Amino acid sequence: MSNSWRFIRTIAKKEVIEFIRDWRTLLALVVIPLLIFPALFIALPLLLQSEAAELDALELDIVWQGDYNDELSSTFNESNIHIEFENIPAGLHNLSDIGDDMERIRDQEAQAVFRLINNSSEWKFSVLYISTSEASNEARNRILDAVSDWESNVINGTLIEAGLDPEKTLDPVQWDGDQKYADAATKGEQAGLALSLFIPMVIAIWTASSAIQPSIDMTAGERERGTLEALLCLPCSRLQLLAGKWLAVASITSAGVALQIGGLLFAITYLASSSIIGVPSISMSSLLLLLGAVVIFAIMVVAFELALAMKAHSVKEAGSLLGPAILFIIFPALFTQVINLDSIESWWFAVPLVNILLAMRELLLDRIIVEHVIVWVVSSIIYAAFAAWFAARQFRREDLVASIS
Amino acid sequence: MSDTLLSLSEVAKSFKDVHALTKVDLEIKSGQVVGLVGGNGAGKTTLLRLMAGVMEPSNGSILFRGEPVSSMRERLGVVPESTGLYSRLTAWENIRYHSRIYGIEDKIAWARVVHFAKMLDLIDALPRHTKGFSRGMRQKTALLRALAHGPDILLLDEPTAGLDVTSARTVRKLVGQLRNEGGTVIYSTHHLAEAQQVCDRIVIVHNGSIRADGTPDELLAMTNKETLEEAYVSLTADKAKPRIEDNYKEGKLAKWWRLFLTGRTPKIQEGSEDE
Repeated sequence: MSNSWRFIRTIAKKEVIEFIRDWRTLLALVVIPLLIFPALFIALPLLLQSEAAELDALELDIVWQGDYNDELSSTFNESNIHIEFENIPAGLHNLSDIGDDMERIRDQEAQAVFRLINNSSEWKFSVLYISTSEASNEARNRILDAVSDWESNVINGTLIEAGLDPEKTLDPVQWDGDQKYADAATKGEQAGLALSLFIPMVIAIWTASSAIQPSIDMTAGERERGTLEALLCLPCSRLQLLAGKWLAVASITSAGVALQIGGLLFAITYLASSSIIGVPSISMSSLLLLLGAVVIFAIMVVAFELALAMKAHSVKEAGSLLGPAILFIIFPALFTQVINLDSIESWWFAVPLVNILLAMRELLLDRIIVEHVIVWVVSSIIYAAFAAWFAARQFRREDLVASIS
Repeated sequence: MSDTLLSLSEVAKSFKDVHALTKVDLEIKSGQVVGLVGGNGAGKTTLLRLMAGVMEPSNGSILFRGEPVSSMRERLGVVPESTGLYSRLTAWENIRYHSRIYGIEDKIAWARVVHFAKMLDLIDALPRHTKGFSRGMRQKTALLRALAHGPDILLLDEPTAGLDVTSARTVRKLVGQLRNEGGTVIYSTHHLAEAQQVCDRIVIVHNGSIRADGTPDELLAMTNKETLEEAYVSLTADKAKPRIEDNYKEGKLAKWWRLFLTGRTPKIQEGSEDE
């Protein structure tokens, strides 16, 4: 085994061991990445579903003011609504004028007030409610649904009375067959498209953010705790030291990203079993290129973060530097999501950060366009090399030792 | 055959326009315990860092057995002033980490560590995490770490600073033991009495240069003084230069910002009474 590799491996191993011995780190590194997608895709919809069911079962009190309609009243009764009838208050400008009903709606004595008047041939109505209350919103929705059904019946009745076919009159141009069978994309390709809209962003943001803490701990942290000088006295070069620390941060970050993707795949499998989304179909070449893109991205981001953290004199200073730096990842990541990949110009694949994110999007769609691949691979390697050079420069600085007190 | 281990020739070190060391010539022979004595900011730590190969001299050369010291670091054992232990590792893991980088097998390192740990009364602490270690225990662990790979020379930067009497005594005893075994030690301290007790030879560093170099008796003879303290005072009579850290120059914007945020310190008025 060469000396260089021994140095790098020993440094990386120690850094990883020391880092994961902190249970808080394990929580951030293992539990959160593993659970975030299952929580987002499985637990959250379940929670929303149960909340919606609870809302559906809610018995609501409404006040009906004005004219009575038998058909509408029976529709209300089917909607689990308890009605109290009243006359319309005097002195209103129009039916939406809340007037003296303000207090009882705000106090939720009734979840909504339904006003209805019949002027010979037409009906006018309004629903008074409070938008900040879920129950009041639900009451309003149930009333509107019932009114809509009643209105459809009124329209249909009028059309039939006039000797017209309601369906042909109201919907003269119709889609023939099932819309979902008209899409040439397979379910797997559709799933790829859905994933391409957020997986690159997740990988980019998670790689950058999860590398911050270990980068700071292994550089500015060492400096602050006084362990750096002893380390610099060892018979390994600064470049080997950087490589060892880079390997450690990259391993920790990769573990986090891998666990997060594992959680995501679990969530997708769960959703696929419920036929909500298909399993994305990606070729082996796309998968390998995707892996390469993530590795190059990690080299670049981790080296850059290590360099910035090494530039700082303390953990606090490093945090102030690296915290805002994450925005340089988030903005391109968000921006990349809205770029149209069809007939995209090749130069986009040379823009720092954007190139890797676009490449990941294309690969998740299983599109391998040789020209794009060449541009993003070459440009990304150049950027990663630049980041590594910058990091090496920071690690070679003499004031690194001089400023240790 | 010359038994010179470390040889410094016209060594100078500057940090921008601050001259930390000027024209230092020094030879360290095998088997010697050499004390570097000087006040704060005298240049002891810079000199030790240069000898440890952590820094490159601005001028001159530092050779270890005729080779540039930076390429011979595996033959050195260094204990910096800040012991540099990782709190989430055990004492043995801290030691093993360094010895593995030195390319020493764990078995061999362990045998050496046990030998010295018995001397330092640290054997029971080896499997413990260093987080709760006292300053003395940390210093002893750092010493073991520096000795585990069997260095030819040991560089100690103020090894007894902040230690209680017993721990300081144990450290000094270990240095004495190393001397008896033929080891070479460079021992930086600002305590003359300690240097006199531990070292064969004392090098007085002041304002970045060597003011005197010899055995305690030679220093007394050189200065015609009766005590080493008097000798030291006469050799370092000129005002000490500010420390490198005190010469730190901040940028205009940083200075403006600092002044903007600094609270006012009340002025001392003559004749005013303390409240």
